[in-house]
Amino acid sequence: MELKLTKSTVRSIYKAVISIALALVVTSVLFIATGANPILAYYYIFVGAFGNLNLTVETLVRTTPILLVSLGLAIAFKCKVWNIGAEGQLYMGAMAGTITAVSLGNSPLTLPASILVAILGGMAWAAVPALMKTKLGINEVITTFLMNYVAIYFVQWLLSFPFRSPDTLFPESAQVPQAAVLPILLPTTRLHLGVVLAIAVALPLVYFLMIKTTFGYKLRAVGENPEAARFGGINVSRTIFLALVLSGALAGIAGLFEVSGIQFRMRGSLSPGYGYTGIVVALLGQNNPIGVFLSSIFLAAIFNGSSTMSRVLNQPQGVVDFIQGVLVIFVLGSEYIMRYLEKKGVFKA
Amino acid sequence: MPLSPIFFKKTKFEVEKVSNASTESDSVTRSDHSIFVRGIRKTYPNGVVANQDVTFSILRGEVHALLGENGAGKTTLVKILSGCLTPDSGEILVNGRSVRIEDPIKAVKLGIGMVHQHFTLIPTFTVAENIALSLSLSGRLNLDAVKGKIKEVSKNLTLEIDPDARIEQLPVGLRQRVEILRLLCQDVDILILDEPTSVLTPLEVEELFKTIRRLKSKGRSVIIITHKVKEALAISDRITIMRGGRVVKTLPTISTNEAELAALVVEGFASSLRVDRGKPGEPVLMVKNLSVKGKRGEMAVKGVDLVLHAGEILGIAGVAGNGQKELVEALTGLRRIESGTSLLKTCDLTNRPPKFIIRKGVSYIPEDRIRRGVVLSMSVSENLALKNFEEQPFSKNMVINRESIDRYASDLISKFGIRASDPCATVSSLSGGNIGKLVVARELSNGANIVVAEQPTAGLDVKASEAVHQKLMELRSKGVAALLISADLDEIIKLSDRIVVMYGGKFVGEFTHDSLDIQKLARLMLGSA
Repeated sequence: MELKLTKSTVRSIYKAVISIALALVVTSVLFIATGANPILAYYYIFVGAFGNLNLTVETLVRTTPILLVSLGLAIAFKCKVWNIGAEGQLYMGAMAGTITAVSLGNSPLTLPASILVAILGGMAWAAVPALMKTKLGINEVITTFLMNYVAIYFVQWLLSFPFRSPDTLFPESAQVPQAAVLPILLPTTRLHLGVVLAIAVALPLVYFLMIKTTFGYKLRAVGENPEAARFGGINVSRTIFLALVLSGALAGIAGLFEVSGIQFRMRGSLSPGYGYTGIVVALLGQNNPIGVFLSSIFLAAIFNGSSTMSRVLNQPQGVVDFIQGVLVIFVLGSEYIMRYLEKKGVFKA
Repeated sequence: MPLSPIFFKKTKFEVEKVSNASTESDSVTRSDHSIFVRGIRKTYPNGVVANQDVTFSILRGEVHALLGENGAGKTTLVKILSGCLTPDSGEILVNGRSVRIEDPIKAVKLGIGMVHQHFTLIPTFTVAENIALSLSLSGRLNLDAVKGKIKEVSKNLTLEIDPDARIEQLPVGLRQRVEILRLLCQDVDILILDEPTSVLTPLEVEELFKTIRRLKSKGRSVIIITHKVKEALAISDRITIMRGGRVVKTLPTISTNEAELAALVVEGFASSLRVDRGKPGEPVLMVKNLSVKGKRGEMAVKGVDLVLHAGEILGIAGVAGNGQKELVEALTGLRRIESGTSLLKTCDLTNRPPKFIIRKGVSYIPEDRIRRGVVLSMSVSENLALKNFEEQPFSKNMVINRESIDRYASDLISKFGIRASDPCATVSSLSGGNIGKLVVARELSNGANIVVAEQPTAGLDVKASEAVHQKLMELRSKGVAALLISADLDEIIKLSDRIVVMYGGKFVGEFTHDSLDIQKLARLMLGSA
């Protein structure tokens, strides 16, 4: 994978770094207000994320769903389709995949079939707002976002009644058969096959799709100037539809890998908001697959490191959400910050 | 066959005025200068030096034309004067005082106002509401007072306008008048008009020139930017020629002529274009009883019949807004055809998607090149391949072959003289004129059967316009058919083998090149045969 450092790439990197730095500065104020030493806090976050092999693996495990979701969102966002519904698509994909796995039992087909059905589940859930947008012109921000609630409550209902596990008291699915479990690659850790599939297969594939193919070209053209794209013979509606549905597919895989690699059951609390974290990551990575990869490691590290930090320093866990929120604000503002710095001569324009 | 006798006449009065104003700048005292700029330099972030050691002056009550090719630095210079850009170095004196013009508000305070090429009015607001936006009103909006001011100013200069008219209902010429009035209501003494004629029909140009003369007679100064030598000669007292970011020369208008100016604008330029007529062959495009709805659901094209032959250029003359745009969009698949058919040889194009029509060899040079013709944030080479990136050798099995796209682009860049630092530069770093060249290059190079050209030379300089005309005629001689829609009657007359006049959504007259009657054509355009 070649990585050409053009001027605009360097600029994007600056933007991301500035956003992160400013978000950490603002979060430091929060730490100081709650009586913690911010430097110490960041130190424990780092140690919690990368302190030893097991912790590092855990961070990679955490990276996996975030990366899959945000790769999908990068595709949609590149086309200026604002899919806020990855969380719902993740749940629907995971649910559909789990049902498939449980009903197929121990068969060599179980794992591939459940992955495929999870993809279809995520796609189908994304296809609804995609059709609403392309056929009726309804804004996808609202539809995708609201459909998250529909999905999550629907899944909870499924887990409470039709697909409730016969052997536990909780509203959760039956355990998936052994054949559906993603194999562990490093004994005594939770490094499952999904981690490798996400980083070594999904990431290069999405990179290739976005940068090297005619579809990637269409995504950019439609995102930047739909009028010119239409005039150039590109089917704008179809491109938008595909962008949204593809991001649903990746969210669906993310959901299934959480079931098959970590939980082994479908649960109503499967995702701690990966669908939303993916938005932060896609924005921070500026819809570039490599940027998205680095950003998802960063956010996974914050996720995992924060629990160590909060135990050692007796700080609230909510700091994760706080950092994410502040990060979004600075990422969105980073273009203006960058222009300001260029005007002041800090960076060469 | 220029329209000069009607539109570019000079009055005796003007000539006298000119001789007063054209004294060499050394012999006049500084206070005669409304604006005096010295040593202006401006470098854009992408490294383009747009202005270099520019020294320039405007006298009180003169009309000063800034003449030059695209990218000569005219717009940059006036943007500096109107506060839209700040120069890297250099001095600006307004009425003898050295000033810094940080923003357009400061410029207006100093009495300098600019009418941009693309208007800045809010379409759904009325004239008075738009003008009120720019006046510094305190607290309550008193529209009656604004209307009073508009009436006073417009009466003073006999620039009639209805303050209650909504902008979207006004023709372009009147919108421009509103822009000018807005500046006058802010007591601006020096008006800068950036390519004001590029959007106007010939009659509207005449009206604009009348307005400019009236402004002058009231002691206002006008800077008019143009790349049309004839216009500069027709309206100005002095002409400053710019080339490559520098001022080449400032001349009094009466002591120069078209040939001299053309040679100054483009160094060593001599027109080499030989206009010949085509030899029309078989019909290629047959349009029958075509009806198309406009943006607001009204019937914009009402049952038009049209036959276009191979090796023919058919000009569609008409005042903008008489259905030409809708007709073109219907033919290129961008707008639904309500009834009627469009046939390319034996292939039915009626309501087929744009891609299908493109594949059949229909090229389209849209009028709005920035919105429709290019994706600004994508590279020059990607934009040049916009219409055929899905074909070999540009891509195979969905995989893009970047080298072949870049190679194709480099070829077109040199062939059409597009000024781009390299094929990978984003289109947003190109000047407007160069974006025009890019679109024209793409549309005329992909092996079309039919070229639909909407104002193909609008905003292009002399050299580039000639290249486009040359290319169109070259394609014609190879049997390509062209549909030419232009508000520039000169262009239509020069190139077309046949001209139809469009008015109110219908074709109201047809001329062959030999049977052309300009007077009648002009009347037909206005719906009064």
